[in-house]
Amino acid sequence: MIDPIELALGILGTIQSFTLMVARAFRYLVVHFRFRESLLEMDRLGVGSIPIVFLANLFAGLDMALQFSVVMAPYGATNLLGKVVATSVIRDMGPVLASLVMSARVTAGITSELGMMSTTQQIEALMVMGVDPVDRLVAPKILAGMIMLPVLSVVGDFLGVVAGLAVAMFGAHVPAPLYWSGVRTALTAPNLVNGIAKPFVFGFILVSIGCFYGLRTTGGAQGVGRSTTKAVVYAAIWILVANFLISKLLIDIWGWKL
Amino acid sequence: MIRLENVTVSYGSRVILDAIDLEIPTGKTMVILGESGSGKTTILKCVLGTLHPVSGRVLANGQDISRLSDEELLRFRQRMGMVFQEGALFDSLTVGENVAFWLWEHTQLSDAEVETRVRTLLRFVGLESSIDSKPSDLSGGMRRRVAIARAMAAEDPAFMLYDEPTTGLDPFTSKSICDLMRRVQREFTTTNIVVTHDLTDAYRVGDLFTFIKDAKVIATGSRQEIERSTDPFIKTFLSLES
Repeated sequence: MIDPIELALGILGTIQSFTLMVARAFRYLVVHFRFRESLLEMDRLGVGSIPIVFLANLFAGLDMALQFSVVMAPYGATNLLGKVVATSVIRDMGPVLASLVMSARVTAGITSELGMMSTTQQIEALMVMGVDPVDRLVAPKILAGMIMLPVLSVVGDFLGVVAGLAVAMFGAHVPAPLYWSGVRTALTAPNLVNGIAKPFVFGFILVSIGCFYGLRTTGGAQGVGRSTTKAVVYAAIWILVANFLISKLLIDIWGWKL
Repeated sequence: MIRLENVTVSYGSRVILDAIDLEIPTGKTMVILGESGSGKTTILKCVLGTLHPVSGRVLANGQDISRLSDEELLRFRQRMGMVFQEGALFDSLTVGENVAFWLWEHTQLSDAEVETRVRTLLRFVGLESSIDSKPSDLSGGMRRRVAIARAMAAEDPAFMLYDEPTTGLDPFTSKSICDLMRRVQREFTTTNIVVTHDLTDAYRVGDLFTFIKDAKVIATGSRQEIERSTDPFIKTFLSLES
């Protein structure tokens, strides 16, 4: 039987270790910034994820426009399709979808890479060589995630909106100028802040969780598999939790404006 | 000199090292022998500072390692070389990059100077021609050689630690690794700790020998002193190995 006190202590210990790792990573980003490693990570995490993020957003835009046109057509409201699709894509669907797709690729990749390094004593070797793994491996990855996810998300949002146009024009028979004028009205400050702030936070979540579980991996190949599964699941859950919290926070700040 | 004073390490209720005392004089090689799981590698971890004893002190040239802060430890380890059981080479880097890693991290040398030093070190271990190979392309013995070159990348390594450096190697390769370890000790006057369970290799590289059993040091001394021991475990160990 699970001892609740032991369980609570375990959770507190995990939160403490995670916080310490993140604090050290941010400290290194200030006092010992690694430009070259950060650029390399941006290339690996960001540029390498372009195809899957774009594909996911493309089909999400197509599907959303299709579903909304089915719901709005009976009310004669398809002229609002541009605004509705753009608002949903920018505020929620784009960042969340990009992050979830990225967590499958990036979080899993980081955890298995660092996990293998842990189990083959490469992390220990780094420490013995006087190099903090958080400095060399974690900090550049976190920075890369926080920069590249918003970039990918914004471009992905644009693709989603363009995909929505195709459905609007050929499925719902909405003229392109009308669709675009709806899209333009959706480009408001609250929507744009939503669209940038969320992937910024999600980028941090998916990379830091991947690094955390990677560095804690023990137990050979099986341990790597276990850590990777755990990291991907936790990253996905925390992305959805953070999505709600940021939405709530921004609605509290701006009120019910679109 | 490395000295362990009354060092105890435990994981929960399980005692790994029980109040052990050890002293390795400067420039000498201490071989730690014992069964698998007897706590041999734990001694290396204490000396590296990756594991803190629950009591006792670990001194390296008079400095108490167990009292150093994380940053002081990172600096301290810059004068320490460690060769791991399987080499623990960074598999995303080439052989040359593995050896250059320490120089990139801790010196301001130009690329040309780094390459010169890397080539010198790889020549020392007989692997200059493999400079552009990936660790996965190397045999077990070659990986250990690269690991030794990497551990020596510091200009003046004071301590070299070897964790089962010949495990899984054929007798010829084992001998060549032992010869290399001896050469490192001779040419760089390093203080060495070697953890192994292979008596032949232990005799090849060691000046002093320590037997660990049930978390305790049961004997320490020269080869002659160890061979004269009346301890039943040591006698059995020596007879089985020979």
